[in-house]
Amino acid sequence: MLTERIVRWARIKSPWILHFNTGACNACDIEIIASLTPLYDVERFGVLLKGTPRHADVLVCSGPVTRQVKDRLVRIYEQMPQPKFVVAVGTCACSGGVFQGCYNVEGGIDTVIPVSAYIPGCPASPGAIIDGVVKLLGSLKQSK
Amino acid sequence: MADVIRIPIGPQHPALKEPANFMLTLGGEKILEAGVRLGYNHRGIEKACEQRTYIQDLYLLERICGICSHSHSTCFVQAVEEIAALEVPKRAAYLRTLVAELERIHSHLLWLGVAGHEVGFDTLLMYTWRDREVVMDLLAALTGNRVNYGLNTIGGVRRDVTPEQKEKILQGMDILEERTRYYIQIATQETTLIQRLSGVGLLNHEDALRLGAVGPTARASAVDRDLRRDDPYAAYREVSFKVITDNHNDVYGRTLVRVGELMECYGIIRQLLKQMPDGPIAVKAPRKIPAGEALSRYEAPRGEDVHYVKADGTDKPERVKVRAPTLANVQVVAHMLKNRYLADMPIIIAAIDPCFSCTDRLISVAQADDRRADVMTWGQLRDYSIAWYRRRGVDFSGLNRTFRKGGA
Amino acid sequence: MTDEETIQAELVARFPFMRDKVRVQRPRRVWAEVGQDHFAEVFGCLAREMRFTMLSAITGLDQGETLGLIYHLARENGLVLSLATGVPKAQPVVQTVTPLFACADVYEREVADLLGFQVQGLPQGPRYPLPDGWPAGQYPLRKDWKPESLGDAKAEKGGPTSG
Repeated sequence: MLTERIVRWARIKSPWILHFNTGACNACDIEIIASLTPLYDVERFGVLLKGTPRHADVLVCSGPVTRQVKDRLVRIYEQMPQPKFVVAVGTCACSGGVFQGCYNVEGGIDTVIPVSAYIPGCPASPGAIIDGVVKLLGSLKQSK
Repeated sequence: MADVIRIPIGPQHPALKEPANFMLTLGGEKILEAGVRLGYNHRGIEKACEQRTYIQDLYLLERICGICSHSHSTCFVQAVEEIAALEVPKRAAYLRTLVAELERIHSHLLWLGVAGHEVGFDTLLMYTWRDREVVMDLLAALTGNRVNYGLNTIGGVRRDVTPEQKEKILQGMDILEERTRYYIQIATQETTLIQRLSGVGLLNHEDALRLGAVGPTARASAVDRDLRRDDPYAAYREVSFKVITDNHNDVYGRTLVRVGELMECYGIIRQLLKQMPDGPIAVKAPRKIPAGEALSRYEAPRGEDVHYVKADGTDKPERVKVRAPTLANVQVVAHMLKNRYLADMPIIIAAIDPCFSCTDRLISVAQADDRRADVMTWGQLRDYSIAWYRRRGVDFSGLNRTFRKGGA
Repeated sequence: MTDEETIQAELVARFPFMRDKVRVQRPRRVWAEVGQDHFAEVFGCLAREMRFTMLSAITGLDQGETLGLIYHLARENGLVLSLATGVPKAQPVVQTVTPLFACADVYEREVADLLGFQVQGLPQGPRYPLPDGWPAGQYPLRKDWKPESLGDAKAEKGGPTSG
């Protein structure tokens, strides 16, 4: 449908990002923010940080999902309009990382919500984050 | 009669009981009562430490916090080395201190940017984080990673510094010292910034002592404490530096303390590189640590970090207890919020340089005469704060424009 | 006599029951132990008269039949005295030290949450660090507790109460 293709084109041109920390140590969060600063400048790809799930296309998550935030993570995901994508940033978000087996930790983001892209690293470097975001945008372009 | 304030409600419906990190009761625009509720990134690390070896725990404890990871790693390993009666070679102590001070630089520059962001001075974030990349590159070259350096092993460190790296570090210190002088200039001359930060987050000397404040937060209330001088560890006895205190008792003072500490970092690093003794970088450590206990303290960028370790003769610790600096400042925060404007909350919290995530704190807000609580996100609170101050003539749009045009 | 030895001597002089209970491990690290019956007077003396003006941390431990508490007190000059005490696990009741150290508030809530101490005299306040809905009676730092114990337990609202 034409409207779908227009919406998809708009999303590829400038995906709106919601950044959410699920109990991480902050290292990945800082690298995510660093990728927005002039040296790495992910904004040149049209990526914009948004405050609310209702306008977000991509949920960028760090952390190994503590019990405290699990419900909130699900709620945020549910509030995002379709189509929506989730990026797990950092080894904790991918698999729980060093916190696997800790009693207050669920594990990787995909133990709670579906994940579209995994960016490993402890922390994931700004270069790796941008690489992952660009790959995700590329795969969006390719899907019909 | 108090004004009725429309606080925007977040996307989270108030009826859904989200764990709010701060619970505020307002009278008009002022905070009458503030409750601080921490623990949402409690992961169960201390328990996990008992089920892992000492070396595995080094890697785990580094990841308590992604800003002061070397602090936790070093604080822990010092306790283990004391129990095992290991004498760490001098060169290793120097290398630990070098990375410790590089970490302090990255942390304080990060903080400057975050503080700028909280008050709407976003170009300050861009400038300081750009400069911070100088030290991130040095850390990555020295240790192999930008964060979570894995430098320590029990008995010393795992990597040495080359003469070429030393040169690069010295060049980096020159660059950063010049940049920091510029930030000191901004901090002491830009009236918008001074206005915005002065008189905010008041903590007088007596309350700082009574509530047990630590780190730059305490030092900005004239509390003359710094573990690097008072309870020295690593190579701090071999270098000379000033402990920076200030008596503004507010967020402005905390800013001055941190930029002052940055200048001292450059001096300490130059001394370390000049004096670094030759020799091995580690002694061999036993896999099983003999029974015993130790209490290790470390002056992290945020303040006093404390690790207690109890060994039982096996290769795993019996108990590891961590008291990170932010926890010591919790009461201080609650005290600083009381009877202040809601609009001051973001920078008051930011000023203790808290070691909890800044992206998703939820604030529950209720007017004193109405029990129903609304929920704000941190972003909404920041927007409210910037708008509130703008209405009162404190506006960073001008400074942001000047800086964007290349004010530095 | 070093600072550490002076402290040792002074404690034993004031409290004869402290003989052989005070140990100097290294410069700036003194370790002492005291039973609950004499805890308040020794702790109060250290804080009020012997210049231990800072409480850096409180460590809770599972010692089998007993639950241990170590109060890490510090002087301005960097000297730390760690005072250990203990209570029976079957009745782990202790008194708050917040009248002397306001910062103890969150440290005491922590040992209550993670080890099951009942700290008397703590004002009403949120629990720390476990989440709301953590099942009652589950103390993660106890040696016999495993994460699997969470599986069957029913969630309960609220946390440890004061007093």
